[in-house]
Amino acid sequence: MIKIMVGAKRVVDANVKVRVKNDYSDVDIEHSKMSLNPFDENAIEEAVKLKQQGIVAEIVAVSIGNDKCSDTLRTALARGCDRAIFVNMDNHKVEPIMVAKIFKQLVAMENPDIIFLGKQAIDDDANQVGQMLAGMLNYPQGTFVSHVNVVDNKATINREIENGTETLEITLPAVLTADLHLNEPRFIKLPDLMMAKKKPIHTITLEELNIKFKPSTRLIKAIDGEIKKQCMMLNNFDELISTIRESI
Amino acid sequence: MKTLVISNVVNNHINPSLYNLLGAANILSAPVDVITFGHNLQNISNEIAKLSDVNQVLSIDNPTLNNLLVENIANQLAEICKNYTHILIASDSFGKNLLPRIAGILEIGQISEVVSIISPNLFKKFIYAGNVLVEIESLEDTKLLSIRTNNFEANKSISDVICPITEIKYTNPISDKIKYISNNVVDKSVDLSSAKIVVSGGISLGSRESFDSLIRPLAQKLNAAVGATRAAVEAGYANNDTQVGQTGVNVAPELYLAVGLSGAVQHIAGMKDSKTVIAINTDGHAAIFEHADYGIVGDLFEIVPQLIEKL
Ligand SMILES: Cc1cc2nc3c(=O)[nH]c(=O)nc-3n(C[C@H](O)[C@H](O)[C@H](O)COP(=O)(O)OP(=O)(O)OC[C@H]3O[C@@H](n4cnc5c(N)ncnc54)[C@H](O)[C@@H]3O)c2cc1C
Ligand SMILES: Nc1ncnc2c1ncn2[C@@H]1O[C@H](COP(=O)(O)O)[C@@H](O)[C@H]1O
Repeated sequence: MIKIMVGAKRVVDANVKVRVKNDYSDVDIEHSKMSLNPFDENAIEEAVKLKQQGIVAEIVAVSIGNDKCSDTLRTALARGCDRAIFVNMDNHKVEPIMVAKIFKQLVAMENPDIIFLGKQAIDDDANQVGQMLAGMLNYPQGTFVSHVNVVDNKATINREIENGTETLEITLPAVLTADLHLNEPRFIKLPDLMMAKKKPIHTITLEELNIKFKPSTRLIKAIDGEIKKQCMMLNNFDELISTIRESI
Repeated sequence: MKTLVISNVVNNHINPSLYNLLGAANILSAPVDVITFGHNLQNISNEIAKLSDVNQVLSIDNPTLNNLLVENIANQLAEICKNYTHILIASDSFGKNLLPRIAGILEIGQISEVVSIISPNLFKKFIYAGNVLVEIESLEDTKLLSIRTNNFEANKSISDVICPITEIKYTNPISDKIKYISNNVVDKSVDLSSAKIVVSGGISLGSRESFDSLIRPLAQKLNAAVGATRAAVEAGYANNDTQVGQTGVNVAPELYLAVGLSGAVQHIAGMKDSKTVIAINTDGHAAIFEHADYGIVGDLFEIVPQLIEKL
C-alpha cells in the first residue's frame, strides 16, 4: 500500500470576480469567498478513489499560507484525506518556488509515494509547483493528468497535451498534477464534515522546516485586466453573414 | 545580459512559436542563443542559424531525445541556463512541463505566461483568469520566463550571415523511472492556438452530434480551428484539447466566432486577445456580448445551418 501527499491551496473562489485596490497596489481579496483550489479537489478525489481501490493506505493534505488554511484543510479532510499539515507563512505571500521548497522538506519527513498536486492554482495561474518539486527531488513527473492507474510501484498516466494525450509509465515515487478532466469531485455530505473535525491537523513553521523566506518577485502594480468591447448588435442573418465575410 | 530561447522540435520542423519567442527576445536587446534538442537536427539547426538576430544555435542531437521526456533533458538544460540572464520558452504544454522543472533544479522562481516585457526586470502577466493584469519585478539573477507567444510579434526575418551552430554533447542521465508508452495525438488541419479563425461552441449545442454537424462544418467552411467551452468538453461534445480558456488553450485569432456560449470569465481568459469577436446567443444579456465586437441574438440551430449553406 502506498502513501499520497496532496496539495490543498486556499484560493479565491472561482465564481468571485476579483477587483484591484484603488491604489493599484494589489488585488483586493479581503472579503472574498475562499475555496479549496479546484484542481486540488481533483487530485484529492483521485487519491480517495485509489484508497477505495485498496491501493492507498494514507492521504496527507498540505496547505501553506495563513491561519485560515485550516478551513481549507477541513474541506480536504471531509473529502477523504486522513490527516493534514498546515505550514504557517503568517502574512508572507507564498510563491510557487517557496511552496516547492516546503513540499521538498515535507516529502523528506513523510516519504509519500505520490505527491499529487493540482495542475495550477486558479489565483496566480502559475502552473509550476509540481514540476519544480519533481525537479528538486529528481523524481519523474506526470503533469496535467487526465487518467491514472496504479499497479504496485508503477503509475500509468494519460497526460493532456496539444491535440490529444500521451501515455507514460512512471515508477514511484513521483509527482503528479491533476487536470480538471481527471474526475468529477464528489459532493461533501454532512457526516463527512463531522468526521473531518476529528481528524488531526498538524501545524509547522518555516523555522521548523529549516527554510528561509525569500521572495522571487515583487508586485509593482495590479490593474483591471478585463477588456470590455462595444458590441454592435446585428439585426438579421444578412448582416451577420456580411460581417463574417468582412472579418475574414 | 544574454538570452537563451529554448525551442523544441515538432514533427521534424521548427516549432513556429520560435519566431514569436525571437520577437519577445528582441525586446531585451541582448544577444540571443537558441537551443534545440531532438534527433537528426542538422536541417533544423541550419534553418534557425539563418534567422536574423540569432547569435548562436546550440543543438543537442541524440536518438534518446525523440519522444522527449523532460526527465531526460532538464538537468543538462539547467546547467546551460546558468550562462544566461534570461531564459525564454513558449507556454505551451511542453514549455509548461519543462521550464518549472528547470526552475526547481536551479531552485529559483519562474514567471509564467508573460504577455509583455517592459524591461529586463519587469514583466506583465494575467492572474485570476485574466481578471487582473499585474506588472511584476523579478528578483532573481536568472529570469526564467514562459511566454504567451500570441502576445508577441513573430520575427521571421532572415539574415545574410549564418550564425555559428554549436553541437552540445548529450550528457543528461537517462531516467529509468519514466517510460514513454504511446500517444493519441490527432494532426489537425488547423492548429487551434495559432489559428487565424476559431469557431467555438458551448454547452447549448446539446449533443456531440450537433457539435459535429454544426460547429465542425462551419469551421471547415471558414478554414478555422474548432474551439469549445469547458462545459461542452465535460459533456463530451468536444475533445479536451479544444477547450479554450484559463485552464485550456489560449487563442488570439483574427476572428473568433462564439456560438451558444455564455462568456464565463474562465472562457474569456483564453480568447480575449482575439481581434474581432462575433457572438451568437439566444440571450441578449449573455456576458459574451460584452466581449464581442458584433453580436446577434438568435438560435444557433437556425443560424448555423444557414451559415454553413451560404458561406
Ligand atoms: C477552475 C475552473 C476553470 C475553468 N476553466 C475553463 C476554461 O478553460 N474554459 C471554459 O470555457 N470554461 C472554463 N470553466 C467553466 C466556466 O466557468 C463556464 O462554466 C463555462 O465556460 C460555460 O460554458 P458554456 O458557455 O458552454 O455554458 P453556459 O454558461 O451554460 O452557456 C450556454 C449559453 O448558450 C446560450 N444558448 C442556449 N441555447 C442556445 C441556442 N439554441 N442558440 C444560441 N445560444 C444558446 C445560453 O444563453 C448561454 O449563454 C472553468 C471553471 C472553473 C471553476
Ligand atoms: N500554498 C499552497 N498550499 C498547498 N498547496 C499548494 C500551494 N500553492 C500551490 N500548491 C499546490 O501546487 C499546485 C500548483 O500550483 P501553482 O504552481 O502555484 O499554480 C496547486 O494546485 C496545489 O496543489
